[in-house]
This record gives sequence, C-alpha cells and structure tokens, in this order.
Amino acid sequence: MNSQTTIPATSGAYSGSMQMPRTVQVQGLNHYFGEGDLRKQALYENHLEVRRGEIVIMTGPSGSGKTTLLTLIGTLRTAQEGSLKVLGNELNGADRDLIVRLRKEMGFIFQAHNLFESLTAYQNVNMAAELVGLDPMIAEGRITSLLTRLGLGHRIHYKPKSLSGGQKQRVAIARGLVHKPKLILADEPTAALDEKSGREVVTLFQELARDEGCTIIIVTHDNRILDVADRIVNMVDGRIKSDVAVKETAVICDFLKDFPLFADLTPNTLAEVADQMMIHEAQPGDVVIRQGDAGDLFYLIRSGRVDVLINDGTQERKVAELKQGQYFGEAALITDEPRNATIVANQPCVFYALGKDNFRAVLETSATFEEELRQALFRRQ
Amino acid sequence: MLAKTPLAWKNLTHDVRRLVVAICGIAFAVLLMFTQVGFQNALFDSQVKLIDDLQGDLFLISKAKFTLAAEKRFPMARLNQARSCPGVLGVYPIYTELTTSVVRRIEKGMGNLGYPLRTIGFFLDDPVFHSEEINRQLPRLRVQGTALLDRKSKQTKFPFPLDDDAALEREYLELAGKKLTLVGTFDLGTDFAHDGNLIMSAENFADYYPHRVRFGDPLSVIDIGVVKLLPDADPAEVRDFMEQTLDKDVYVMTREQFRTEEIRFWDDSTPIGTIFLAGKIIGFIVGMVICYQVIYSDIADHMAEFATLKAMGYTTRYFILLILTEAVLLAFVGFVPGTAVSTGLYSWLSARTGLLMVMTLNGLLFVLVATVAMCVASGMLAVRKLLAADPANLF
Repeated sequence: MNSQTTIPATSGAYSGSMQMPRTVQVQGLNHYFGEGDLRKQALYENHLEVRRGEIVIMTGPSGSGKTTLLTLIGTLRTAQEGSLKVLGNELNGADRDLIVRLRKEMGFIFQAHNLFESLTAYQNVNMAAELVGLDPMIAEGRITSLLTRLGLGHRIHYKPKSLSGGQKQRVAIARGLVHKPKLILADEPTAALDEKSGREVVTLFQELARDEGCTIIIVTHDNRILDVADRIVNMVDGRIKSDVAVKETAVICDFLKDFPLFADLTPNTLAEVADQMMIHEAQPGDVVIRQGDAGDLFYLIRSGRVDVLINDGTQERKVAELKQGQYFGEAALITDEPRNATIVANQPCVFYALGKDNFRAVLETSATFEEELRQALFRRQ
Repeated sequence: MLAKTPLAWKNLTHDVRRLVVAICGIAFAVLLMFTQVGFQNALFDSQVKLIDDLQGDLFLISKAKFTLAAEKRFPMARLNQARSCPGVLGVYPIYTELTTSVVRRIEKGMGNLGYPLRTIGFFLDDPVFHSEEINRQLPRLRVQGTALLDRKSKQTKFPFPLDDDAALEREYLELAGKKLTLVGTFDLGTDFAHDGNLIMSAENFADYYPHRVRFGDPLSVIDIGVVKLLPDADPAEVRDFMEQTLDKDVYVMTREQFRTEEIRFWDDSTPIGTIFLAGKIIGFIVGMVICYQVIYSDIADHMAEFATLKAMGYTTRYFILLILTEAVLLAFVGFVPGTAVSTGLYSWLSARTGLLMVMTLNGLLFVLVATVAMCVASGMLAVRKLLAADPANLF
C-alpha cells in the first residue's frame, strides 16, 4: 500500500537520519488575552514540533504571537486550549510543582539583562547554579569558564554598573546556560551584541545543541545568526505560517534544480516549490502510479528505488530503475495525458510529491529570472 | 564561595544612601519606642520608690488598699499575728497620711493655701529605711514636732531652702494645723499621687493625726507592715504560711509582688499605661511605614530581576524568606544605632528631669521584639508586590 500524508516535505519529518525525541510538541494550541468582550485570540491552532538538539529560530512581525508562544512553552503563561508538551510533560493543566521543576530544566535569556545591580557578574550567574543545587566547586569552574568564553574573564567579579550593555547581556546569557538546561528560550539574545560577541554566543548555542543535546528556541530579527538555525518558524497573526527545516529544504532544492524544467528557477522559487511538496511513503511492491491512470502528482524520490514498468499491450516490461534524487510523473502533468508507465517501489521509499495544480502554477506563474532580479534590487533599499 | 549568595544583604546594602535613610528611619522608630518605655519605667519606678527604699522581705497591707495612695489600714493585731509566725525576725509598722497632711507655709504672719504631701511615720528604733542619710538624722526626729523633708518635693508648692539646714529649721510652717519644724532633708521623690514627703517619728505622727482612729490609739491602725525574716527563711514559704494564718483582711506580699501589684494598678487602672501604650504604638507604626517604604521600593526597583528569578524556578517560599531576611536585617541594623542614641537620650533626660531613666534588659528585649515585629510585618505587606511579579512580561 502507499500512503499519502499531509506532512510538508520541508517540515524535516523525514531527513534521512534517526529522529531525536521531541522536546517541544505543540498541538492545536489556542491562546486568548483578556476576558469577556475584550477577549482577543492571540494564537490560532498552532502546531509545532521541536526535537532534541535542534536550534529553532522564530521570526515574524511584532504582535504575531511568537513571544506568546515562547512564554507558553517556557511555562511562564498558562496554556488554555490545546496540547503543549515540553520535555515530555503536558503543560495544559500542569501543577505548580511540575512547572517549577520544568523551569529549572530551562534556560531563559531575555531581551533585557535583568541582572541584580547588587551582585557581581559571578554572583548573578551563581543564582541560577544554586537553584538547581549544582555542587559549588563544579559551579565555580563552570561559571568561570562560561564567562571567560563569553569574553568576560577579566570582569568576573565586577558589578553590572561597571559593565557595558553587551557585557551585561553576556552575563545574562551565562546565567541562562550555567545549569545546563535541556531547553533554552531566548528572546533577541544578540540584539545588544556586536558582530563578534553575537557570533560567539551563537557558536556557544551550537555547541550546546550538538554536544549536550540542548534544544534552543530563539526569537530574533537578527539575520546575522540565521545560519545556525536547523529550523526557521515564521509566524503571522497568531498562526505559524511556515515551519521549515533548513537542511532538508536545501536537499530538496538541490534535487529540484536537476529537473530541467526547474533549472532556471531562483533559490527563492525553488524553496517555495519545496514548501508545497508533501511526504509520500511506499513499501516494496507498492504501485505508486499506474499506467493509464490520470496524472495528478509529480514525484521526487527522497530515498529508496523504484522500477519503471511499461505495458506495451502484451506484457509489462521493466524499462528503468530510478533512485534517490530522481523524479517521475511529470509527463502526465505537462501533457494532461494518462500515465505512460507504472512505477513500483522495490524498496521502502519516501517521495516528495507536488500536486498538479501547484506544479503548473510553478511553471506558469513563477517569476522570471529578470523579474526576480528586479525584486531583489528593489528590496535592497 | 560555599555559602549561598546573600541576596537579601546585598540588595539592602547596595544603595548606601537608601540604607542610611532606612537605618535613620528605623532608628528613629526605635528611639520613639525607647522614649516611651523609658518614661513609663521611670514613672512606674517612682510610684514604687517608697517600696524600694524600705527594708524588709514581706509586706502586709489591707485588702482594701488598691494603691499606696489609698488610705486603707489594717489593725495592729495582724502585725502581732505576723510576728508570731516562724522565720520572722521582726515586724515594723509604717504609718502614712495624705489627705489631712497639709503643709502651710507662714510668711509675714500669713499662711499660704497649704498643699498636701505624704507624711510617713515609723518607730525610730525600727530598721525600716535603707537610706543612710535618713538613719543618720534619726536622733533629730526624737524632738517633738519635727520632721525631715523630701528634697524632691515640688518646689512650686513647698518652696523651702533645701541646701541650708539652719534656714530650713527657721521656716515657720504648719502641718495639719500644728506647728512643724523641719530638721533636715532626705531623698525619696514625687509620683502621680504625692507631691512631696515628710518623715517623722510614730509618736509625732500620733500627735499630728489623732483622728486616724475615732476612739483610741491612732497608731493602732497600720498602713504598711514591714516584715523582716531570719536570714535562712524562705520568703515565699513564710508568705504562704502567713496567708493561711492571718485574718483574711490583709494581703501578705513579697517585695516583688508588692512592687508588681502597685505598678499594675497604675498601668491598668489609670490612663497612664494606655497613654504610653499609644506612644509605643505610634513608634511602631512610624517604623512600620518607614520599613514598608524601604522594602517596597527595593522590590519595585527590582521587579524584572525578581521575575527573572521566578522564571528560573525560584519559588514563593524563597521570595518570602528573602524579604523576611531583609526585614530582620533591617530591624537589627536600625536597632543598634537606635539603642545607642536612646541610651544617650536616657542619661541626658535623667540629668535634666531627675526621672530615673535606665536601659533595662526587659526594655531592651521589648523594643527589639517590637522592632523585628514591625519590620517583619511591613515586609510581609510588601512581599505581595513581589509575588505579583509576572515573568511572562519579561519577553
């Protein structure tokens, strides 16, 4: 049998490697502010999955609900409708004890540094270490190395008053990281930092994600740090407009570029095409398309192999074998004729499928190269 | 580095100017309370100064005598019964008169209005007073119509030359309508009921106040019975025995009981206790307002930081403990300078007013507890603000 899903190809649900457990799982999450007549919906049916070790960058205009979603994930607001699982615990209806326990496993980095003026950089960071009961000797080593790493080695025992804005922000970042949180929630962590220290901070994030399996969700408008994102989530008006796994999208675009009809498309358009593809799975022996049927999908093989069989009226003959990165099903869409071959999976396969209408739309209405160049130049101002 | 970060102390001492203001404010409240306690103690002490000046281990008074100033007496027979109790070395009667004990000063043949003071009479051979000064002058009192005058008697009512014994003796004055000669001075002090004191022999006392008993010996009714015990007798035991043995119209009290009961009367049954209580409450409230202000503004200035701590997982318990610690620290840092200033004020006031203002352990403990209570109370009022800190507003 073969199964058609509604999971977008760019969601990263299939990435060709082993899947990590989900750190954050948001399902059908609605959120409202105010009461009675003033009640206003801030989040609409949000779905989001973030896996262990992923770095997610959330963007969107202000008021789009990304901060609300972040505070909900961070247990700082109470979930009202829908399901919100963080670190394996359902937050909708969670009790105080669970929330306090979860908060200790998270690291918060706020836009404002919120350091106690009365405490030194060291003591401020230590407030987080003490809370989780870190051994003082270990904590001391960790605080010192973190602050040194963030370029504050010579200012460990300074009070915030004698630190610059960027230095204070870095102390706040150290405070958010010192207790080795499993989930880091950061709001514009690099906004107050220069290029170099901003880079140092995101490199630190990457190391934490890679080496300690730390999951990181960053709300930011800082496009200098987009390169660290494993996934970019875009929110508009309380809805997640796009949720794209960066690496997987790059893989799809690479494949699509090899398709002659798409060869002239710009990366931007390719990404849009990738966005419209759905995951489609098949087991060995499954017939993906049958000769003579009406064509409705264009397929890209993400993994596995398929046999191409043509029935010339007397017998079915294997004419070719297609593998990862190759595609099929385009002819029927272009010519509007029935399928001219049968495709049978001979291994467990994953395809990314593009609907007929979308396929045509890409061909017909996608911006020409020159048009897109104009757009790019216009946006430069 | 092993101890937890002392956030309460750090926050308190971070802003030196605010800390100094806080200390001044709380020290002021402490000073207010100490002043009230000091005056109250001084006044209550002067109410019982006579008891303190008397020798003796147990005291007998009529059950009707609700205060030293009440002229209720008991018959001599009680004292005789007391003398026969085991453990008793001696019993000595003290006679006092107030309402009829009016002194008029005669000047140029004219008497002034006359003002009442307390006349205290006793048998000169009885060891009744501690004061060496009084005992030295006893021989002078053996002369008929003589008395010693309390130097602290109100000068406005009894304007006698106190420094010059010869001049004092030349003064013409009448006591209860009879001529009186002042042969010397002693030191006792005034109180709420008594503007001055005279001391004289029981024999002279009987002459001046023959009307104490309608028929018979004026010395047969006694105001205060002083009981002296053998050195190895237990006052409490003897007291209990006397209580059972003696007729039920007298109280038998130890020195401490006598003192306490007298103070209790002035404290409970007169407005004095209430007035001082009000003074203390005002000091307490002033301190509370100041302390609340200090803690509240500390919290208000650090809302974002406290909210961050909440987001990190710090619990309500931590914040309450934090503010509690801050309140207790404030109480102590304010109490120490407040006490120092109060001690100075006490000695200055003592020198100026003649009131006995002493820093007692009880007074110290009372004010310390009140100070801590006031800081903790205001801290708990202010902590509600902190608990309202919402980490969701931080993003």
